[in-house]
Amino acid sequence: MITKEKLERLKRELPSPPQNALKILNVLKDPDSGAEEVEEILRYDPGLTADVLKMANSAYFGFPNRIGSVKQAVVLLGWKKISDLVMVSCMNSVMDRGVEGYDLEKGELWRHSVAVSVTSEVLAQELGIKGIDEIFTASLLHDIGKVLLGMEVKEQIKNPNLFFEGSQSFDSVEKEYLGLDHAEAGAEILSMWGLPERTINAVRFHHKPDESPYADNMLDIIHISDTLCIMLGFTAGKEGLKYHPSSNAAKRLALSQLTMEKAASYTKEKMNQLLNV
Amino acid sequence: MRIIVDVGDMKVSKNGDELVTHALGSCLGLTVWDPVAKVGGLLHAMLPLSKINPEKAEENPYMFVDTGVPALFRAFYQLGGKKERAVIKAAGCGAPLGDDRIFKIGERNLVVLKKLLWKNNLLLAAEDTGGIQSRTLYFDISSGTVIIQTSGNKRVL
Repeated sequence: MITKEKLERLKRELPSPPQNALKILNVLKDPDSGAEEVEEILRYDPGLTADVLKMANSAYFGFPNRIGSVKQAVVLLGWKKISDLVMVSCMNSVMDRGVEGYDLEKGELWRHSVAVSVTSEVLAQELGIKGIDEIFTASLLHDIGKVLLGMEVKEQIKNPNLFFEGSQSFDSVEKEYLGLDHAEAGAEILSMWGLPERTINAVRFHHKPDESPYADNMLDIIHISDTLCIMLGFTAGKEGLKYHPSSNAAKRLALSQLTMEKAASYTKEKMNQLLNV
Repeated sequence: MRIIVDVGDMKVSKNGDELVTHALGSCLGLTVWDPVAKVGGLLHAMLPLSKINPEKAEENPYMFVDTGVPALFRAFYQLGGKKERAVIKAAGCGAPLGDDRIFKIGERNLVVLKKLLWKNNLLLAAEDTGGIQSRTLYFDISSGTVIIQTSGNKRVL
């Protein structure tokens, strides 16, 4: 079991995100901030700038002409998209690592996170849902709790077979053995980092969208995208398909089988476009 | 040589090689083998029908069962495999918990495969499909042996 004190200690032991990721998150939260602040953050970080420009010039966006400066990128993509790319670049260092307790090899969690992010974006677009600017970052961070719980799974779970091979949903197994599941652990981390409340809530309920205190189509989309990526082999763990997707989330989104499968058909290409820059 | 077949991809190979694919959830893993010519192929298809995105199917037929299976057989024949000797095995096609139809992509993948095989007078020699496990598939082209691994357990298909 993970006690309150233990959780605080684990949170402190986590690798911290680069300063610039936290700065970007603050810009996103502040309605008076915007393009200027994003450009300001990038101005002092040539490595980050180069990374963001590489992604902006990737096939993912498919601009015919080369984007040569942050200013130009902000004009073409908008500052919110640029902040997404800053998050991809910054969070890579925290999430592109192996997670021992879950038997995740280096890169697996990151690949799953990027797959869910691009799938969420495509789904939102296919469903014509606008005004959810946080969806990319929330999707990218939805499983970050695994990084924290992984340390404990390795320590505490003496019989991994019982932990991974039952037939109940895996989040309930985590809760039973550890006292909290990776979604709750993720929400704890994100509230420590000061992310917007809606993002924290979406991460907390990404396996149980029906239990969220308020209905949120961003949460429902992340839930469906995560389910799709788990089903289609862009997975993140030994637990396989052991989750219980919500029929209500699909209904709330008026999601058809066709729309869902169509969105899924873009996942691989878009994920590779973002990963291979 | 060990050759990894990615999600939404297909590889054919000859004697001496091993084809491997990971993380078969609701995707279909399909092997075809010719015991005389000692050639074989492995498909890892994600979605049942290409009509949901014909443009994508044009670009990558292996993403869909209805375009991936014919493409697998064409490549298998090209390498010297013969239809009358083809040994075909299927794995994957799992589903998450619960019984909502919308999440049964795996079942739909299997139905489309079986229709295709039936239309072409082909039969499955073995299958390890359904369930909530994620599978890894190892296919030894020399012996035709297909091994399915689900977290820790290995079995011959």
